Amino acid sequence: MSLILRYLRLYRRDFLLGLLCLVVTNAVTLLIPWLLKEAIDALGRGSALRNLAFHACAIVVAALVLAAIRTWSRLLILGASRRIVYDIRDDLYAHLLSLPASFYARRRTGEIMSRAVNDLMLIRSLFGPGILSVLNVALLYSAGLPLMAFLDPWLTLAAILPYPLILIGVFRVSRTIHERSNRTQEQLAEISNDAQETLSGINMVKAFVQEEGESRAFGGLSREYRRRSLLLARSRGLIVTLMGGLDKVSTIMVLCLGALHIIAGTLTKGGLVAFLAYLALLSGPTVMMGWVLGVFQRGLGAIRRVEEIRAQTSDLPGDRALGAGPDVQGAIAFRGLRFSYPNGGRAEKPVLQDVDLDLPAGATVGIVGRVGSGKSTLVQLVAAVYPVADGTLWIDGRDLNSIPTSHLRAQVAMVPQETFLFSRSIADNIALGAPAAPRSRIEDMARLAQITRDLPDLPQGLDTLVGERGVTLSGGQRQRVALARALLLEPRILILDDALSSIDADTEEAILGGLRDTMRRRTTLVISHRVATVLNADCIVVLEDGRVVESGSAAQLLARDGPFARMHRQQQIERELESL
Amino acid sequence: MTAPGPAHEEEVLGKAYDARLVRRMLPYVAPQARWIALSVTLMFVVIGAQLLQPYLIKLLFDVFIPRADRAGIAALALVYIAATTVELLARYGQLYSMELTGQNVILHLRDRLFRHLNALDSSFFDRHPVGRLMTRVTTDIESLADLFSSGVVSLLGDSVKLIAIVVILWWLNWRLACVTFAMTPFLFLLSVLLRGRIRRSYRDVRRRIARINAYLQESISGMLLVQLFRRGEVNRREFDAINGEHRDAELRSVVYESSFSAIIELVGNVAIALIVWYGGREMVRGVLTFGTLVAFLNYTSRFFGPIQDLSGFYAVLQAAMASLERIFALLDERPAITSNPLPAALPERARGRIDFQDVRFAYRDGEEVLHGIGVRVEPGEKIAIVGATGSGKTTLIKLLIRLYDPTSGAIRLDGRDIRTLPLPWLRRQVGVVQQDHFLFTGTIASNIAFGHPDLPRERIEVAARLVHADRFVRGLPKGYDEEVRERGNNLSVGQKQLLSFARALAYDPAVLVLDEATSSVDTETEILIQDALRLLLEGRTSIVIAHRLSTIVGADRILVLHHGRIVEEGTHRALLQARGIYHRLYQLQFGLETETSGPLPLAAPEIST
Repeated sequence: MSLILRYLRLYRRDFLLGLLCLVVTNAVTLLIPWLLKEAIDALGRGSALRNLAFHACAIVVAALVLAAIRTWSRLLILGASRRIVYDIRDDLYAHLLSLPASFYARRRTGEIMSRAVNDLMLIRSLFGPGILSVLNVALLYSAGLPLMAFLDPWLTLAAILPYPLILIGVFRVSRTIHERSNRTQEQLAEISNDAQETLSGINMVKAFVQEEGESRAFGGLSREYRRRSLLLARSRGLIVTLMGGLDKVSTIMVLCLGALHIIAGTLTKGGLVAFLAYLALLSGPTVMMGWVLGVFQRGLGAIRRVEEIRAQTSDLPGDRALGAGPDVQGAIAFRGLRFSYPNGGRAEKPVLQDVDLDLPAGATVGIVGRVGSGKSTLVQLVAAVYPVADGTLWIDGRDLNSIPTSHLRAQVAMVPQETFLFSRSIADNIALGAPAAPRSRIEDMARLAQITRDLPDLPQGLDTLVGERGVTLSGGQRQRVALARALLLEPRILILDDALSSIDADTEEAILGGLRDTMRRRTTLVISHRVATVLNADCIVVLEDGRVVESGSAAQLLARDGPFARMHRQQQIERELESL
Repeated sequence: MTAPGPAHEEEVLGKAYDARLVRRMLPYVAPQARWIALSVTLMFVVIGAQLLQPYLIKLLFDVFIPRADRAGIAALALVYIAATTVELLARYGQLYSMELTGQNVILHLRDRLFRHLNALDSSFFDRHPVGRLMTRVTTDIESLADLFSSGVVSLLGDSVKLIAIVVILWWLNWRLACVTFAMTPFLFLLSVLLRGRIRRSYRDVRRRIARINAYLQESISGMLLVQLFRRGEVNRREFDAINGEHRDAELRSVVYESSFSAIIELVGNVAIALIVWYGGREMVRGVLTFGTLVAFLNYTSRFFGPIQDLSGFYAVLQAAMASLERIFALLDERPAITSNPLPAALPERARGRIDFQDVRFAYRDGEEVLHGIGVRVEPGEKIAIVGATGSGKTTLIKLLIRLYDPTSGAIRLDGRDIRTLPLPWLRRQVGVVQQDHFLFTGTIASNIAFGHPDLPRERIEVAARLVHADRFVRGLPKGYDEEVRERGNNLSVGQKQLLSFARALAYDPAVLVLDEATSSVDTETEILIQDALRLLLEGRTSIVIAHRLSTIVGADRILVLHHGRIVEEGTHRALLQARGIYHRLYQLQFGLETETSGPLPLAAPEIST
């Protein structure tokens, strides 16, 4: 509700002016039947043709004024509704940018999209046609009814007698329509889910010879959909009939009563014609009120859902920390760190526990361990993706929670496990974090990440579009773009989360060779499934089930003959197998 | 599939009428001929009853009021009521019969489409993402329903109504009719002109909202990166630009929309002025009655509405044609793998001898994954296939149930080339347990009985009991009637595995092909699974892609698949002693892991090298 008032106030100029225009349009609209009446009554009195021409001209002038001002009123109010939606959508997007990873873990993309697209459509209807219709009806009634009563009070009474019934009827039936329409949509979703499931499991369906059974089940859903659609059609038909019927009741009562009044001499012929015209003017918008009510209901629901998202806040303490402090040097310390995902279903079981590590600034740290051992989570915590408890994670001796997130991220660059490229050019993707970077720097980074060797195969070199509308890069190519993207930032802390997994061993060697210099100047955390990748690291950390089970240099770990040594041997065999 | 991505084939709008498509549509529409006829008839009734009403008003003014005929007025009111009642009832019937037609047509077409999809082969599904196919079955079909419910008949009705009004007015007073319709060519021109712009502006709005969709989709999916690379401010500006463009397109469409309806109203009012001016003169001259004047006013007010409605029709038609095009293109897809009719001589149950004869296969041309597999499996034999990831194990299974056909070579079941066998029969003989334990929405019971939907409850429970699934199923709140949601997300991996074993056991095939899951389960479940497996393989030919030591050790023969070739073959002991690839694989998978606490492998005590 407060959102409605806020925007009404913000756009008060448009709404007030729009209201003013509506006052004029309604006045002129009501004037036209009156002119008609005057013209007809003048005819009845047998007055001069000049009079007739005057009335006709007056109607034309009124019609012109009406058209102009009606257009303007709609432009004002409907225009304001479009601008409001634009404002809300911009705000919503800005807010989405501030929400943490835990929010995105809880919500499906489709759901958020639905807020930003479908719900805004409903809000638009509320502010646009919704408010427009309410104002219109209010004005039409407040001016039209007195005029009609002035013409003939009894006739007016007869005319509006069925109106409360129309309103109640329309409202009740629209509720049914809304319900049935939801149920029809739900069934459509069922159909869609069923198709999705069958088509995704098509091999299973074929293996068990269930094509017929699945088709029959799908047919059942389709038939149910038809049943619900037809039910919906019935209520739609009912509302059309009901509206039309009650409207006609008014007309018939006015006609009969009006005819009798003309015979009795209390009403002129022109009066009855005008009266019928007024009735026609009123009945349309009245019938619309049922629909408008629905628009308001749905619009308010949409506002609630949008506000719910806007009420979410970041759970990162760093987002509330003030003061930038000195530049990050890159020493990282974990002190008894324990972590479980916030609000996750598996909240009880910690993903990381008892992690105690001291990683000096400038060190290259290899992190290895099985899938699910907590490697990615560990490095994501360093980039402040999820909140940690105070005092468990320190950067240069400062509690991570006291460093403003954006200050920290300016000096930490991560190449996540899942490479995500935006549908832009390769160069734009590399310059993701520094859109103003000069071309030469982008090219340097591309060279460093060994992208340059693929350029001849790409239609426009670094300007080749990737993603949805562009070319599809191989997994290795994508990872190298993501790497160049991180290198461009010249971070103090560089995190490679299994970022070279799809790159062949030779290219990886070339990349690591080229990076040796850069890596020496910064703290580098490298997660890898390939033991060879981390063999040269200053320190190797082995994780198992969220705990550090061993750490040290490669030589130390190999000598210990623990999990790392085992992995090392296993991968040697794998390589041998590959070469057979 | 949630939001529409950026413009693809979905957005392409072509012709509003395509005779070829309409002809193909006929077989689906023809069975509804009765309903269509009814709808059209009722439409004429509606129009007749509607257009009678202004004439009744004319009579009121011209005949009954001048005569002060109160009884006549009452009679007229009754006729009016009758006309209204007929109009409303006929309108209801007309709308409903049209909706019924549309719903019947799309029901039929949707069924046909879905059956067709089910008949297409796996390589088709490799080429076409499921999301795209879903659009055919949902959105595209829906836009056809629109064509019926709000399209065809109302187009016809509106046209008939316009013509009828012109005829009536002409008949009442042709000169006044000429004056009244003096505005029409102007209106027509204007609406053609404006309508084009409105349509374009709507398309513009749609295109821009699609861009907002695409941008949001990408931003939300890549939010982590956006935030890590501190791109918030840049993205906010970019989004603002796209959002602003959408707003501007919307504002333009508001201009056209508002002025269009205002102009229609203006034209109506000018027509009133003309009727008053010219009609009044005619009245003064005595050639026109007052009632006729009122009737003119009434009829003209009903004239401009349909003109406005007609404009919406084009868009509906265009969307429907585009959908039809896509639907028929899908129906034109021919499956590469088709079934053969049942030869009389096939037994109920195969013996289970399988021959792979120099089988080669490539998913894509030039990328062969199986290079001449030749092996015979005797009835009742237990075969284990081992090999590194990507060696072609799963492909072999897919070929056996003809999800794909070999590029060359042949596979025989009991000596018959499987390509000559009826598909349902083949797949009844060869049961498959896939690695990812696909469960369908339904109940536990319906998932176990997946291959035999009418399997009695006792048999379902017996199957579950034999593979040790019974205990956990009974522990569920509703037992066998417990709902399975979203592919079994409410069940653990081990439970799903046991359920798919129960499903295979209930299917009771002559040949069982099993792709063992690699995912780890707790030790207790692992023991249950191993025992269930043993039982499952008993008394039938079996081919298992093995990851468990117990399966491998229990096999009659082990085939080692390496880079698409069978490189070693023999018993576990013999292969280990050969110290070839199998030995390495064994070390890789089990040898080095036995000392860790990981739940994956279980030590097999009898192994000695």
